[in-house]
Amino acid sequence: MQFSFIEALQELLAGSGFAALVDDPRNLIMILISFVLLYLGIGKKFEPLLLVPIAFGMLLANFPITGLLNEPTATASPGMLWVFYQGVEHAIYPSIIFLGIGAMTDFGPLIARPSSLLLGAAAQLGIFAAFLLALALGFPGAVAAAIGIIGGADGPTAILVASRLARDYLPAIAIAAYSYMALIPMIQPPLMRLLTTKAEREIKMEQLRPVSKTEKIVFPIAVATVVILLIPDTAPLIGMLMLGNLLRECGVTERLSDTAQNALCNIVTIFLGLSVGCKAVADKFLTFETIKIIALGLLAFIFSTMGGLIFGKIMCKLTGGKVNPLIGSAGVSAVPMAARVSQVEGQKANPANFLLMHAMGPNVAGVIGSAVAAGFMLKVFGA
Amino acid sequence: MVRDPLSLLDSLVVSVSGFFIVFLMLAVLWGIILVVSRVVGGLERRPAPVGPKPVQPSAAAPRPVAAPAAPQVVLEGIDETQAACVMAIVSHETGIPLDQLVFKSIKAV
Repeated sequence: MQFSFIEALQELLAGSGFAALVDDPRNLIMILISFVLLYLGIGKKFEPLLLVPIAFGMLLANFPITGLLNEPTATASPGMLWVFYQGVEHAIYPSIIFLGIGAMTDFGPLIARPSSLLLGAAAQLGIFAAFLLALALGFPGAVAAAIGIIGGADGPTAILVASRLARDYLPAIAIAAYSYMALIPMIQPPLMRLLTTKAEREIKMEQLRPVSKTEKIVFPIAVATVVILLIPDTAPLIGMLMLGNLLRECGVTERLSDTAQNALCNIVTIFLGLSVGCKAVADKFLTFETIKIIALGLLAFIFSTMGGLIFGKIMCKLTGGKVNPLIGSAGVSAVPMAARVSQVEGQKANPANFLLMHAMGPNVAGVIGSAVAAGFMLKVFGA
Repeated sequence: MVRDPLSLLDSLVVSVSGFFIVFLMLAVLWGIILVVSRVVGGLERRPAPVGPKPVQPSAAAPRPVAAPAAPQVVLEGIDETQAACVMAIVSHETGIPLDQLVFKSIKAV
């Protein structure tokens, strides 16, 4: 047998990923998109904790002939990314992220002023408005529901619903949700100034009452019991959110609380990001539908912010000017960024204004509200 | 439950009823929080039963005037006037009345 170096080199190149990239240049476009997302995550710090793993998952998934996404067969093991994706497929990762969010969240401001719950409900307007718009643009009902959930400004919830109702659109929905969450400080302030008067923005709110430890312990147990019994489809999200909060508040599980809000949440974030990114393959992502989803996501955020602000104005009128309507926009669940935006805008109008704690009430109410809306959509459109 | 294609009316019904259910659910939670707060508040206000009853002071004995126990603030490197200024500024900036703030120590850095 004669060995030819040139032939060996030709065979190596023909069987390489480079040759496969030339065969289907759409993968190359996806790789370039992943570079842009990596730049946004690392260079611009747009939700980097999730955008970086998503972008890298997208990069890995679009390298041809790696077998990373292969399903298991009788003779072959599954690909690594296929295995990771099972955590999304079976709603494991979003639920564990919710455990971490629960462990990080202080529901005290909400318990101190429970009327904030209505602001959290009003700020879900974008979910249902975007759902209608998505239907008008020709999406099927289940996909429209998953697109609408972007308006909840809650990444794990959007991923959970998309994985159940719109698997093919999961990457576009997740990327839209997390990108707009990162852009909240740019999206919300113009709407806040447009929909409120300077006098309203200047309103100083009364100090919140102190909340006892017992109230904080009873709260997650009561919420889990009532919400899950009424809407069982919310169980993965609300159940884990409230467990995380109970670990935080009960005072005897500090180690578990610490693990839930740090190590566990960080580990799962890596797998969640990779799993979402790996679904962004060319034939599913490079479509006109993706552009429509990105546009609808922005509209969903705008409508949600408007819903919260308008209800904030109503509460302002009903309470004789005791509620600053700016806290309404914090009803979208992006915690705590939306509350910080309310604080910043309030202080611009009146430097002695401290709205952060007041805005945290609607902010955490929004997390519950978007989980309830997700449960409703899953109930209506789920198999 | 709902199958495609959705008519305009179906879409509106799903949308409005979904929004209504979110409101309803969070309004129910509002009610639950109020009830829990009342019950917990009532229980915590009730004096805890203690073992032996304290000895009643004699009627003739003068009752000591209850002065609020001011917590001792440790001052390091600053005098009382400066400490008072710091306390006033913190109270003003946070919007928390001074009687609800507890300072443990104030240190010059």
